[in-house]
Amino acid sequence: MTWLFPSALAIAGVAALAAIALHFIARSRPLAEPLPTARFVPVRPIHARTRSIALSDVLLLALRIAAISLLGAAVAAPVGPARGRVARIVVADRSLDVASIAEVRDSARSAMRDGDVLVAFDTLAGVTTIASLSPGVSTAHGSLSAGLAAAIRTAASLATRTDSIELVLVSPVGMDERDSATMRIRESWPGRVRVMRVAARPSVLTAPRIQMSAGPNDGVAAGLALAGFVGDGASVRVVRGRVSANDSTWASSAGHVLVHWPASAADAAWPHRDSIDAIGGVTSPTGTLVSRFPRVWTLTGSTVARWSDGEPAAVEHRIGDGCIRDVGVLLDDASDVALRTPFRAFARALVAPCGGVRDTRPLDAAALRALAGSGPLAPASMFRTGIITSSRWTPWLLLLSAILLLAEWSLRKSERRLT
Amino acid sequence: MPSPPYGALLDAVRGVRWPARHAVAGALSGVHRSKQRGTSSEFTEFRLYRQGDDPRRLDWRLLARSDRAYIRLATDRAILPTTIVLDASASMAYPITSRLKWRRAQEIGVGLAAVAHAQGDPVGLAVPDDLGRLRMLPPRTRRGVVSEIARVIDAADPDGLDPLAPTLSAVRSARIAIITDLLGDADALLRAARVHIVAGGEVHVVHVVAREELELPRRTMLAADPEDPRTQRFLVDSTRRGYEAAFGEWRAEIARQWRAAGASYVEVVTDEPASRAVRRVAEPARGARE
Repeated sequence: MTWLFPSALAIAGVAALAAIALHFIARSRPLAEPLPTARFVPVRPIHARTRSIALSDVLLLALRIAAISLLGAAVAAPVGPARGRVARIVVADRSLDVASIAEVRDSARSAMRDGDVLVAFDTLAGVTTIASLSPGVSTAHGSLSAGLAAAIRTAASLATRTDSIELVLVSPVGMDERDSATMRIRESWPGRVRVMRVAARPSVLTAPRIQMSAGPNDGVAAGLALAGFVGDGASVRVVRGRVSANDSTWASSAGHVLVHWPASAADAAWPHRDSIDAIGGVTSPTGTLVSRFPRVWTLTGSTVARWSDGEPAAVEHRIGDGCIRDVGVLLDDASDVALRTPFRAFARALVAPCGGVRDTRPLDAAALRALAGSGPLAPASMFRTGIITSSRWTPWLLLLSAILLLAEWSLRKSERRLT
Repeated sequence: MPSPPYGALLDAVRGVRWPARHAVAGALSGVHRSKQRGTSSEFTEFRLYRQGDDPRRLDWRLLARSDRAYIRLATDRAILPTTIVLDASASMAYPITSRLKWRRAQEIGVGLAAVAHAQGDPVGLAVPDDLGRLRMLPPRTRRGVVSEIARVIDAADPDGLDPLAPTLSAVRSARIAIITDLLGDADALLRAARVHIVAGGEVHVVHVVAREELELPRRTMLAADPEDPRTQRFLVDSTRRGYEAAFGEWRAEIARQWRAAGASYVEVVTDEPASRAVRRVAEPARGARE
């Protein structure tokens, strides 16, 4: 038996002690003493306060204490019986960083019991079912922070029907799945974490080799050439004009990346923004570019780069076994932005293989130990604070308490009638 | 002989006379002045012979000297059957610890019985018990009747609500001594006593009052009538004064009513010795002097 508001029990205990104390120091009729001539005493409404150390009206006192205790128990909201019960939250990685989603599904299934909860995550996370873990369900990389945060949110809903909660993490636990918030979120989980590692997709860390389709004075082509990305045997094609059918066909081949980076607003047929404006910066996972950029298009897809206000500046679409990357960053031909070092860092992510540069190598042993933690499972009570919930026992306890209070009133009335 | 606790009392009341308040109508010879005249040897006066008088009562010597026929008149003496009626209701068992009211009533009952028996009067006892039954000893003059009365009194236990009026109506003695606190059926008892007095009987009321009833404890208490549990009153300083006034008025009114009815009324407080109370009942004038 656990209590949602155990402090109510302490308050009820104090109230019961007060009732006992008041029982001894009661404003009541003093004990009657025989006096044959009592009839000659004038009748007057007199209240006398007597202090008695004798325990009288034991039944009355017992009824009062029982009623107070039941009221306290009702407010404390008992839940259970859940003694020893452990519920699990299985946090399964469904992202692109997983080599085989089937392995994730099998691992999650082996960890789960009746009443457990499955949370699937990539960059987003939510409660789902085993059946929803299927290939192609996600086009995003994994974020352990998102998964752990979702697990903590989910724990609150489990806390009312269990004593302890076990967190099971099914993931490759790759290097790039961790971010600066991951360990802080992990520390907010008040127990150990069982890590079930699955195979990761191979890391993509090699420098890209690209071929350009651009005019002779194109700044982007110059900048990429300066970065040393241009070369033979390229699997990345950068098109600065309009994309042809040939380009699309090429892009659908395995491992091919078509980067459509229009040199002017006329080189792309993407939907235009409602109001074309300018913004002072754009960032990709590999670098940030600060300049004044016009914003012409509204891009949808898997985001590769973002404007400084968070709007997508470059997106990626899968096509066949390859992908097409739309880059809505217009560079002024008169500008030397593309020739500077920040451009090279910024562009690295744009010309990366499909899915981007990704380090899926597992965390080192120390980081894994820190992630798993030690000690007992997380107590469910840690997640109950601030939760507005109720107990199915509360109405019955209130009813019983009301019955006892009625009995107490009836008993007190009958005693008054006798005296 | 009475049981040992009454020894000192009986010694103290030895020689006490309990004369009838009026001439009695008894035929048997006793110590009380009788309403009948003529048969006794105690000469009173001469009276002229009238037709119908018993010729045997003629004073022949006077007839011879004066040639006039006189008859000798004499005052007869008669016995006065007496019954002691004892109130054994719950209110007599007060105070709870000492039961002094009951103890004093027992002693007065035995003392009056001894006084009456000593002067040759038949004496009996009537005690209603807590079950509504009447324990009654008819008036007798034989030896040991006082001891028998003492045993019955000792065996009685004050409890319940025992009305005395039916007991009084059942008693056929010429003299009845009622020992009570008058907290029961006082009105009905007075009516029954009036009937007895009008019929020529004699009633003595010994009103036993506990000292604790006159001087209540100086503390707050909830007083409960032992004969009526519903009667519960708070006794505090303000109500104590009212109590003393009401109780005093009631006692005065009770005394007036009984005396007006022709009964002898004596109030006995429990701290008064029983022997003195017996003297005051039996010899009112002497008792008052003492």
